[in-house]
Amino acid sequence: MHLVEYNNLIERLSVQVKSFQEGFSILSRVNTLKELGTNFSHILRGNFFISDVNIFYKNNESTAWDSVVINNKNCINCIEKLKTSADAEIQYFNAKEFSIIATLPLTDGAFWGLIIGNKIDKSEITELDKITFQMFLQLLDNAYQSFIHQQKEKQLNFSLNNRVVQLNSLIDTGIEISKLRQTSSLLELALERAAALANAARGALQMFSDDTLISEIGFPEQSDIKKVFASEKKIETYVEFKSVKYLFTLSDKESRKGIVDFDQTDEVLLSAFARQVLASIENEHLHKEALDNERMHQEIEMAATIQRRIIPQELPNIDGYDLAGINIPSLEIGGDYYDVTKLKDGRYLIIIADVAGKGFASGLLVNTLNASLNAYVEKDFKLTDIASRLNKIIYKASTPEKYITGFIAILDPNSGTIEYLNAGHNPILYSSNGNLSKLDKGGLAFGMFDFELPYQSDFIQIKPGEKILFYTDGITEAMDENDVEYSDQRLESFFLDNEITKAKTFISSLISDVKKHTADTLQSDDITALYLRRE
Amino acid sequence: MSSEFNLITETKDNCVVVNTIGYINNIGGQKIVDEFYKFYGNGVNNVILDLARSNVVNSIGISFLIEIIEKLNQTNGKLIFLNLTPSIEKTFTIMGLFQFAKKSEDLETALKLL
Repeated sequence: MHLVEYNNLIERLSVQVKSFQEGFSILSRVNTLKELGTNFSHILRGNFFISDVNIFYKNNESTAWDSVVINNKNCINCIEKLKTSADAEIQYFNAKEFSIIATLPLTDGAFWGLIIGNKIDKSEITELDKITFQMFLQLLDNAYQSFIHQQKEKQLNFSLNNRVVQLNSLIDTGIEISKLRQTSSLLELALERAAALANAARGALQMFSDDTLISEIGFPEQSDIKKVFASEKKIETYVEFKSVKYLFTLSDKESRKGIVDFDQTDEVLLSAFARQVLASIENEHLHKEALDNERMHQEIEMAATIQRRIIPQELPNIDGYDLAGINIPSLEIGGDYYDVTKLKDGRYLIIIADVAGKGFASGLLVNTLNASLNAYVEKDFKLTDIASRLNKIIYKASTPEKYITGFIAILDPNSGTIEYLNAGHNPILYSSNGNLSKLDKGGLAFGMFDFELPYQSDFIQIKPGEKILFYTDGITEAMDENDVEYSDQRLESFFLDNEITKAKTFISSLISDVKKHTADTLQSDDITALYLRRE
Repeated sequence: MSSEFNLITETKDNCVVVNTIGYINNIGGQKIVDEFYKFYGNGVNNVILDLARSNVVNSIGISFLIEIIEKLNQTNGKLIFLNLTPSIEKTFTIMGLFQFAKKSEDLETALKLL
């Protein structure tokens, strides 16, 4: 080569270097493969003054060529000349429709294929053109690698951000679900979030009770739920609570290239959402249970308050007598009751009663007894008639296992005469001149039977210094830690042997003695006592 | 049964307002992009995407939105999201969409941002 020609070549190549730099700058900004091919065709045509540049691309050796840029449709006829191999293949032709046919293997196994037309001035491809073309092929290769790296970087960023979204959504959804009180809303939310995070095209949530479908929800809202189950690509998981099975199914994982298989992450995500739902349903159930318990507790408190109001806060002062009473209810609504009421004629009605069992029903029966008794007594009915009437009323008002034992007495304070009637209650203790009498005349407990067994009453006359102890079995049956009862005998001894004259002091001493017996044992029954002493 | 995804489009000056209805996934995202290219090719360079009736979007749907953002960036166009649910807004923030797109509470404000 002559020196002039050599210098000319150097000058032209230095111009080309500038073109490469500009070309790379353009090619490195592209976002798509098509843009890369299109821009490269512009660069080639500008540099070589070529009529047409046709570019093809294939993912790997076994796939077909995809057209990227077509300037001359006839290039399709030459596509078979695009040979793929490990090295770049360049074929030059003169006096044909296309002057260069080249294939460029790429690092990821893909190929570019170029079918290039003739120069516009019809001149032949020179050696310099060939060198320059090879350099442009290198430029395309570099630009492609840059494009691939950028795509991978984008995908990596996207994938990392998507993982953060998934994690974040899992946490947020857990919080949102826990705030929802309606089961249907939380199920819908969980399903849509699970579907979105797993890129599922659709999803379904079915609820089964003993293998019977009771309800189902589909996602998206207006989609055909059958498509979920008809799909070949689906994942499912389930949780169970109180024999209801919640089956989550996601189908058709999406990608930009079509439907793909779900991966392990999707299964983990779906399972996590299902567990969140389970936790929320359990919480909702516990919350409802707590509310019900609270409501029940309030009702019991209210009933207990009503019950306590029936027990007199203060007893009437009866001239010539000392009177004191106590009622210590157990934890539940008690069935013990006592009262002392002054009647119109100056006499006093004294009653102590005990309903079999505890709870609301017992409380109601005590109220019925209290109201009926007060009404009858004021109508001057005989005590035995009152007892018969009370029996009928309590029988009608109660369930078969409920009845009331009671002791009713009417005291004439002036004479000391007491008419009494014991309806199945503990014998009431009466101390006369140091002798113990048990007042047990009367009849069956109120409400036990409907047939009219006659009640009998009896009379005693309480004299100065004499005393009567009314009580319920909560005292005699109070047990210590070894299940040993306080007992009738101990009560009778305490009653007879105790020299305490003041009624209040007697009652508090009696309770102390009972507590001494029971020690730390939980009180299981109401403790009620009424002490009357004639001064 | 009606389609799982729908959109309603209106133009305002050099802006196309796309109202989406339903799950923005592969189908929804593709429909949005197709609609976008109808206008983008005719010189419309700004897009307002109203997601008031779309509560759920998946990452494939987001990839279509990124495609629109990249396209608009090449021509100094703008994309403004409208009526995003808190959940979608958070997702877009994490995915970095607001580095290249804006958000607005109402159409009037969105038009002023263009």
